[in-house]
This record gives sequence, structure tokens and C-alpha cells, in this order.
Amino acid sequence: MPTIMHQISDPKIAFAFLRPACVLLTKAPTVTNVETLSAQLKEIDDATLQQLQEAVAEAMSHVLETTCVQSWETLRDLLSELCLCLCTPTDPGKPAETSEELKSAVLRCLDALLHAAYGDIIFKLFEPIMLPGIGSAISLLLALGEKERSRDVQLAALKCLQALTLQCDCTQEHVVPSSQERGALGSTMASFLPGITMAVSRIITGDLRHGHAVTVGAIKVWYRTVGLVMEDAQLQAGEPCRTAPPDLGRVSQLMVHRSQDWVKSTAGRLSSLLKKIISCSSAHQHWRVRLEMVELGEHLLARCSRSLGECVGLLLEALVGAVNDEEPRVRKRCEVVLREVSQRNQSRSSAQTFTDILSENLHSLATSLPRLMRTSDDQKKLFVLNVFLGYLKVLGSQVSVVLNSAAHLQRISKALMQVLELDVMDVRIVEERSYAATIETSSDSYHSYAARIQRRHFLYFTDEKIFSLLMEICRTLGYYGNIYLLTDHFLDLYQQSSAYRKQAAMVLNEIVRGAAGISVSTEAQGLESQVWGKSVTQDDLKVAVVSIMEEYTSLNNWHLITVSEEAERDRQDQQLLSPSSLLSISNSNVGGHTQTNSIQEISSSFGSQSSSPSTSALHQLNSNIWQLCIQLEGIACFAQAMGRDFRPLLMTSLYPVLEKAGEETLLVSQAALGSMWDISKACGYPSLKELITENCDYLLNDISLNLQRLSQHPQAPRVLTVMLTHSDCSLLPLVGDIVQDVLMALDLSYQHTAALFCSVLHALLKALARWFPSDSSRTSHSRDDLEDLNENPPPLECEDVDDIGGPDVKAELPLHLSVTKDIMERCIHLLSDPSLRLRLKVLDVLELCVCVLSEKENELLPMAHRCWPPLLQRLTADDPLAVLRAFRVLCTLGETCGDFLRRRVSKEVLPKLSSSLLRQAPTSAKAGPVYTHTLNYKLQLAVLQGLGSLCQRLSLGDAELDAVCEACLPYLSCRQPIRLQEAAIG
Amino acid sequence: MSRAAPSPIFTLRGAGAPLNTLHFSCHGGDTPLLFSGSGKGAIHMWNLNTRRAETVAEGHSGNSVVWVNTLQGTDTLISQGRDMRVCLWDLSEGRTAVLDSLWTGSVGFCQCSLLEMSTGTHLLAFAGQQTEEIKIVELPSKTPVCTLIPDAKLGMVMCIKLWQPDSGPGPLLLAGYEDGSLLLWDVTQRAQLSQTKAHPEPVMCLTFDPQCLRGVSGSSEKDLCSWRLDGQNNLQLQDSVPLVNPGVSQLCVRGDGKLLASAGWDHRVRIFGWKKLRPLAVLQYHTDLVLSVAFSDHQDPRQRLLAAGSKDQRISLWSIFNEGADTG
Repeated sequence: MPTIMHQISDPKIAFAFLRPACVLLTKAPTVTNVETLSAQLKEIDDATLQQLQEAVAEAMSHVLETTCVQSWETLRDLLSELCLCLCTPTDPGKPAETSEELKSAVLRCLDALLHAAYGDIIFKLFEPIMLPGIGSAISLLLALGEKERSRDVQLAALKCLQALTLQCDCTQEHVVPSSQERGALGSTMASFLPGITMAVSRIITGDLRHGHAVTVGAIKVWYRTVGLVMEDAQLQAGEPCRTAPPDLGRVSQLMVHRSQDWVKSTAGRLSSLLKKIISCSSAHQHWRVRLEMVELGEHLLARCSRSLGECVGLLLEALVGAVNDEEPRVRKRCEVVLREVSQRNQSRSSAQTFTDILSENLHSLATSLPRLMRTSDDQKKLFVLNVFLGYLKVLGSQVSVVLNSAAHLQRISKALMQVLELDVMDVRIVEERSYAATIETSSDSYHSYAARIQRRHFLYFTDEKIFSLLMEICRTLGYYGNIYLLTDHFLDLYQQSSAYRKQAAMVLNEIVRGAAGISVSTEAQGLESQVWGKSVTQDDLKVAVVSIMEEYTSLNNWHLITVSEEAERDRQDQQLLSPSSLLSISNSNVGGHTQTNSIQEISSSFGSQSSSPSTSALHQLNSNIWQLCIQLEGIACFAQAMGRDFRPLLMTSLYPVLEKAGEETLLVSQAALGSMWDISKACGYPSLKELITENCDYLLNDISLNLQRLSQHPQAPRVLTVMLTHSDCSLLPLVGDIVQDVLMALDLSYQHTAALFCSVLHALLKALARWFPSDSSRTSHSRDDLEDLNENPPPLECEDVDDIGGPDVKAELPLHLSVTKDIMERCIHLLSDPSLRLRLKVLDVLELCVCVLSEKENELLPMAHRCWPPLLQRLTADDPLAVLRAFRVLCTLGETCGDFLRRRVSKEVLPKLSSSLLRQAPTSAKAGPVYTHTLNYKLQLAVLQGLGSLCQRLSLGDAELDAVCEACLPYLSCRQPIRLQEAAIG
Repeated sequence: MSRAAPSPIFTLRGAGAPLNTLHFSCHGGDTPLLFSGSGKGAIHMWNLNTRRAETVAEGHSGNSVVWVNTLQGTDTLISQGRDMRVCLWDLSEGRTAVLDSLWTGSVGFCQCSLLEMSTGTHLLAFAGQQTEEIKIVELPSKTPVCTLIPDAKLGMVMCIKLWQPDSGPGPLLLAGYEDGSLLLWDVTQRAQLSQTKAHPEPVMCLTFDPQCLRGVSGSSEKDLCSWRLDGQNNLQLQDSVPLVNPGVSQLCVRGDGKLLASAGWDHRVRIFGWKKLRPLAVLQYHTDLVLSVAFSDHQDPRQRLLAAGSKDQRISLWSIFNEGADTG
């Protein structure tokens, strides 16, 4: 045991020994308490004390936090002591290998010390003589901030650095330096600026694993230090000529004189560092980092915009990129900052240069945009576009000035054209087909369309966010730019080259929306401190819209081929000749829908077959389809932009849209329907029905004109079809004369147009059947109803009640019936048309005619009588397909005028059918499963299914029934296909 | 014809009855209007911007409206119906109210003729109750000015045209009669100045161009007959222009004296050069008799329209032979 025993060597005991004094001191920092502690400290062995450093430092920082250091010597000594605690004894610039706890305790203590320095003694720190000391402290702190593994230590070191440069932003009170003191401070720090900025840049741009807080801290140190040293105010005031005291010796070499040259070269170096920092942090994932970048921009632009002249563009870019930040706090702060910046610049009458810088940046960004969009990843693309948008927003109303420069407009528009290039490789688009049936069934809900809008594929990006950003850019251009200039320019591009047409249309659509202020976020008022009043009047908008729509709907841009003709012919044949509809023959659901599913099956099989057109032709078709879709959307955009003021424009725009709604290419018709919904909403119509009925005069006007020139306007019947599909019986009086036109045109027309007209008549009758459901068609929806009907015979007596007015006074027939009669008249002639396709169509029409007319038997019977001979021909001596449909017509007829048909059917039809059934029975009995896909099978099935009810309705005599039963009997055999058996039982 | 047949730039539908008469009012105000009188007594005021009937006025208790016109400088519409009444309408500030009416006593189809004398006063000539009688009154006072009855029996008055010659004190009146005669009357003298037999059939319509003192009349037969007034106010027959199909309901010369349009019973509107009566175009759209034609009074000649009203209940509007405009 050593002799002197009063020194305590056990740390535990020492701690226990010192603790009360420490606690007392922290509670009441009085001289006595300090003396007590220092007396006690002397009693502790040095090595042990070393281990207790941490605790001591802890205590000290408590002391310093509550007291202040009034003597310069204390400050200086404590500072150097604390630094010593942190560094290795051999190298004062290198951190010691001590524990993290100790380091952070000492750093906290250091921080407390710097905060506790009283009054102006702190400034003594920055006298030239102190340069080495401060320097080593700084490099120590930098090393800790950069190299230390513990996040807390890093943060603490960075905070100390801030405190050391008197740039601390914590909540405590700080000494406010006078401008002179600030000058001295800046001058001293100028010596360390390279070291600090470089090391801190490394922290910022280095390993991201240290977390956002360290990055934020580092950014703060960076810009605060730069802001201090490069402050315009200081540099302008001129460097006080500090003649180094002669006793400084080597220290004077450390001194820096902030001459103009020095400022210039430093700014150059800083700008390259800044570039790195910005590129690394502006798109940082953590919003606090991005927020700090905004602060950086603000701080430096406010203080050093002169000295760091060459960085202003960079800083603005960083700010502008944050205008559209997804984090509202960043966005908000950024807006405030930008407003301040612009105001400051305006007040200094340097707004011109500020705008110049912005527009210069915009120009160069537009130049590099296509390249960036091709080469960078989505994240980077998003950022670049955000910056682009930011410039537009910051420029605000100045955008129109910038766009007045042809070079700018050219650049920006070319960039947009290139970036928005569509990928037209997707072949499926061409092959998707819509059918009247699908249009009809889904016409009720708007959302079904909105949901089905096909995604566009772009060559240079995939992210939907990028697309919406691009669209927002266009809208912002439209909002701030001169609408006439923009529409002129982009319409020029549209006309110039087919390569740009689709993109230009997309841009135009959004420009108009933007000009109307739709979906433009205008929180950032940009350069304008006053509220930006919309300069675009409704009249301007209208002029622009009219000129664009004129271009869109012009012959060359609207009547684009979307279907390869060859394929189209095949498809039509397949669709018409398909026996698919036979399956539903038993429930002849007249007003209903054709058999969507089966048709789609066919179309899909068709899709695989049609590889005939060359790929380039397909791309052309594809491109046409997209162009139409974009233009259709455009019309909807214009309607949105103009609201109810769009109504007069419906005069010219609604017809083209309806034309496309009747198009067979699925995408186009969908786009057109979507557009119709948008238009009706924008114009204040509750639904498509109102949109059409309230504007039917415009539509009918065009239809009636175009029907007379069918060779040039083959779409007119289609438009009528769409109109009929989407409206109700109130339309009928209005279309009355058009129907007469159609019938007249049909009478005069040649072979190929007859089919077209027949489809109109078909649509018309479908509509009529829907609008005026007759009793029989209502009840014939299902077979079950038929049973009921049979028990209580159809109310034939009621018919007499209608005619109570007297037989000689022929009441004027309701319009729908007279129209139907007129049409049925035509059917009689067309039933014997040489084209099978037309005959089939006519049979469909005829069936509907019978349904509609069934409400007035005394009108139906004479017509039925006149129809009979050609119908009989179809039933007995025609293609099986025609037989099939004719049989369906017969069933419908049977439902409504049974007695009338009895003799004729039993004499002329039944024997033929029975014999064909008998003849086919052995074939089907032997056939394999493939047989169910043949026409013969379907014919058998249909006849078997329909025959029963037909016989019942006609109340046939026993002899005829026997013949029918006989014909059906073979089908009860178990060797027959199962469905035939079922049908035969029925 | 070398060019493709023109088509109407638009049509007005929904009148629901044959359109007997048309009158444009496009020179003042914001909205160009077209008035039409229908066979069911309705007067439609078509807004040519929206292409829709802005107002429909009924004032002749369902009787066919045979003629409509406006009094220049006022918002007053004047209409003649087969209920033997002429009505004056106040149209100012969107009103449609009958201000005044006048009993004519004529059940015929003869359209009235209106002549502005000085601001605010007009002369109105109309067929009277007796067969050959033409009455002239001053508007708005309704003071009778004179009654003109020819010496000979000429049948019903079919059409009249009142105009003020440049030389000469008082207005003159041209009248066409049932037997095909044309008469020129001096209104102030109440004297018959000249007479000629223009058509073998009734004169259905006539129009007269006071600038070059030429006129043309149509009948139910195939020929248009043109005639002129010499210095002594004598009617001199000139060439007649043969039509493809017989029957003309109305004739109209365009304000600039370059075109003549005829409303044909063959559903067609024919356009002639007014100077030489050279056929220029056949406008084909209607599906029934064309009953009336009118040229618009747009101030900008390029906007000028031709309207045709037909028994098929539609009005077609055409933009043809306008300088600089597409002749389509």
C-alpha cells in the first residue's frame, strides 16, 4: 500500500465521494460549493479521475448551463482543456479513442461553455492570436462530425461547430455581434472556410447511413459558415486592414485577407461543392433534408447573392425544385422563401436579372430535358420535371414574357414533343372491337368508362406520376402563357408533322384546361406578389377552342382509318354469319341485347387470325386510334374549360363525338363515350340522354345533311344509331323526318349502303321496342311466362275497345307504329335481297317490327300477310342461317297472331321442318362432341326449342301435332346430344 | 355543273308546319334573327347563332301565317295571317305582345307589301275584301291611303310590291293578278299606269328591283317572266326563263342586285344571276315544295345567307356566292 492513503484510487469510491459535492454544485453553483468540489478533487488519484472525466464533464456542463463565464482566461483554458479531453495527446487535431459517452459529454460541455461565454469575451476567441487554437478545435470537431460512428457524437460535434462560429440556432440566448465583430468573426473563419466546407460537404454527400439528422446538421453548418464568411454586407464594408501584430510569428500565415480575388476563387470552389450538395440532397428521400436545402437557398440568397453570384442559378434551381415537393411543409416554406427572394430582387430593381436567370435556367433545362428523360431513372425524371414546373410557377406571369422569345418557346415545345412520344407498338389496341351491344349495356354509368380508360404507353417513361407532372406543366404554361400564342404555336406543330401530332394535341388539351384555371395549383404566386388575375377571358378561350376543334375535327384529322379494311370485312362476315344468337332463340328477348359473350369469343378468335396487315400498317392504325382518343379527350377538356359556355359549340362538336361513339374500335368508342359524359357534365346536363335530346336539333341537322351525301359521310347512320341508343321516346317525334330520309335513301341506295341503313333501322326498332314495350314482348322474356299466357289466352277482345271510335274513321296511327309499318314495308322487299348478310339483318329487323306492331293486331296482320311469301322462302329454301333467323321471326309471329298463321304454318312450314328434323336425327345421334359447334346442331336445337311453344300458340290440329311429335321423337334417344334431348322434351 | 352540289350550312327544324314566309333581321343588334311564319299560325324567331327558335309567337289563332316583316328601326314585327288580320308585335326587351291589328278581309294568299316613307311611318299595301281590291294604309296610324281596283276583271290579287321610285313624287305599286296580268299603279294618283299580260296562269309571285327598274314574276307554269319599266313607266316584257319543273312560290333578289333566288315547287331553290338571268345553281335539300326564299341583310356581305322554307317543315340556310366565302 502506498504511503499516502488519503488519495482515493478506487473509481467507485471516488464517484461516491465526489457525487454529493457535484450534485450540490449543479443545484447551487456557489463559490463555496466549487471550492468544496475542487478540494475533494484533489483527494482523488489522477488515473481514477481520468475515468471520472465523463461525470465531471457532465457536472461542468450543468454548471456552465446555469452560470456564465466571465473571464477570458477561464474561457480559453476551459476550451483548450476540453479539446484536450477529446483529442489524442499526440495529435491535437485527431479525436481520441475514448468512449462515445465521454465524447458526447465533453462536446455537450463544450457547447455549454460556448453558450456561457459572457459578453464580448467570446470575441477574443477570434483574434488572430487564437487562430491555431480555434483551428485545432475546428478540425477536431470536423473530424468527429465526419468520422465518428455514433450519430449523437456527430450531431453534437456539428452543433459545437455552429456554436463556435456563433451561428448557433438553438433556443438559448446568444450574443448578437455588432457588424464590426461580425466582420472580425468572418475574417477569422475565412481561414477555415475551405476546411469546413469541404469536410462538411463530404458529410452531406457521403454515406447516407448516418441518417437525415446528421445531413441536416451538416447542411446547416455548411450554409451558415459560408453565409458568415461570404456575407455581402461584410465584403462590401471592406476588410478592416488588420495588420498582424508583430508578435504573431507563424500564426500570421494562417490569416486570410478576403480580397476580391480571394472571394472570386472561393466562390468558384464553393459553387462546385454546392453543385454536389444540391444534386445529392435536393431529391433526398427525407423531407427534412429537402427542407434544409430550402433553408440553404434562402440563407445564401439572402446574404451572399453578390459574392456567390455564379451560384445564384444553382440555388434558385434547388429552390424551384422544391416548389412542387410532395411534402407540404417543404412546399410551403419554399413558397415563402421564393416570394421573399423575388420581392427582395424586385425592390433592388434587379427583378430583370432574376427573371433572366430563371428563364436562362428554364431554357437550358428544356434543352437537356429530352436527354434526361431518355437516360435517367424515374426518380430523377420526376425531379427534373418538378424543377421545370417550378420555374414556370416561379416565373408566374413572366412566363408569357419568356415565351415571347421564340427560342424559348421552340425549346420548350420541342422538349414536350419529344418527351411525350407515345409507344404505338401495342398491337392489341387495333383488335379490340366494340359492338352496339356492349355500348348499350354499359351506357348507364360514367364510372365504368373512367375506369376502363386505357393506359397510354410512352416511349420514355412509365411512371404515371411523370405523365401527370408533364400535364401539369402544360396546364401551367396555359395558365400563365398567352393562350393565342400557345395555341398557334402548338397547332402549327400539330399540322406540321404527323410525328408531333398526338403530343401536340395532348399539350393543347392541357393548355386550354390550364388557361381556364382547371387543376392548376397557384399557391406559389411566383414573381407576382400581388394576386395573379386571370387574363384569359371566356372569349379568348372560345376563340382558341374553336380553332383547335376545327383542326381536330377536320376531315384529315378526324376520319382516320382505325380498322384495316380487309380484317373488317372478315369480321363483319363472321359476326353476321355467326349462329351464336341462336342459343337464345327460345327466349326471343327482343328489346334486349345481342349475345355479347359469343361475339366476343369470335372477336378474340378473329384477333389471332388477323396477322395479315403488316406491322407498320398496324402501327399506323394504332397511332390513328391514339390520335382520335386524344382529340376526343380534348373536346371534353375544352368543354370542361368553358363550362356552360361550351353549349353553343355543341353545334359543331357533338356530331363528331357521336360519330366516334359509334365507331367499332373499342378504345375510340370508349374515349368518345367518356368524352360525352364529360361534356354533359361540363355543360350541365344530368346525363347523356339530356345531352342528346336537348341538342338533337344540331345532330339531326348534320345527320339529315349527311344522309344526302352518304358517299362522303358514311358515318351519318352511325350517329343516328348512337342517338337512338342513348335517348328515350321523346326523341321519336324529332327523328321522324330523318327516318323518312333514311327510308328514302334506302329506296334509292345501292347495294353496299343498304346494309348500313339496315343497321340504322335495326337500332331504331330496338329503340322502339325498348320505348314502347308491347304486352307480348314484355311477357315473352321467359318461357315460364308463356305457360301462364297460354292458360289465359291473349286479350284479343281488348283490341276492339281501341277501335270503338268507329271502323270508318281511321284514327291517325301513333308515330312509332307508322314508322314501324313503313320499315316493315321495306323489309318485305329486302327479304329477297341476293346478299345473305343483308337478308339476315332484315330478318332481325323484321322480328323487331313484328314485336312493335303486335300492339295493334289490325295493323300487324295485313303486314304479316304481305311478308309471308318472302318469309316462307327464307324458311324453306334458304341458307341454314337464314332459316334459323326466319324461324325465330316465325316464333315471334306465332306469339302475336297465332290464328292467322295456323293454316299457313301447318301447310307450308311444318312438313318441311319435321322432315328436316327427321332427316338430321340420325346424323346427330351418331355425332361426336364437335357436332355441337355445327350449324346443323344449332338449327336442330332452335327448331326443337321453338316448335313446342309455336304449336301451342297456333293451337294446331291433332294431325299436325302428331307429325311434329313424330319428328321430335328421335331426339329423345339417349344417343342424341344432351341439349337436343332437353329441347325435344320441351 | 362542274362543282359538287352545294349543301346547306345548316337547317332549322322543329317548326312543325310548312314554312310560308321568311324574313331576316341581321343588320343590328347582337343576335342575327330569322323570322318564319308557319302554316299552323306560329311565328318562330330563330336565333342564327344558336340555330334555335328563341321565341315562338302565336297571334293568328292557328291560321296560316302568310307573311312576316319588321318595321325598320323599331322592334316591331308585322305579320299577316289567313285569319284576315295583320298584327303588329312589340318585340322590344324580349316581349312578344300584339300591339295592334288590322282587318284585311282577304282570305287569299297575297302577301302584304311594306314601304318605309319616313322615319316611323310606313305604307302597307294588302289585298282587300273584294276580288281585285288592293288597299293601302299608313302605319302606325292605320289611316287608309287609297283603294286600288282595276277597271277590268283580272281575278284575285296574287302578289303586290310597293316601292318608291327615285324620280317621281309618289310611291308606285306592282300587282300580279289571277289571270296572269301585271299592273303598275300610281298610289298617289290612284291611277293605273301600265298593264301587261305576263303569264297564261296566275302570277304566283313577283319581285322588283327599283335600282334597275327590272322585275321578274313566277307562275304555276314553267317560265319565269322578266320585264322592265321604261322611262314612261310602261311595263315591257323581256325574255322569259324556262325552268325544268313548273311552279314557283317565291322570288327574291339579293340586296346587292347580283342574285335572284326562286322557291320551286319541285323542292328546289334555283339561283340565277340577276343581270342576265343566267342559271347558276340548283340547291337541293328539301323534300317538299319550297314555299319561300329570303336573303339575309347582314352588313358584312361575307356573312350573307340564303334561307329557304319548305312545306317539309324545315328551313335550310345556305351560304352561296359570297365574296371570299366558300361557295361550297
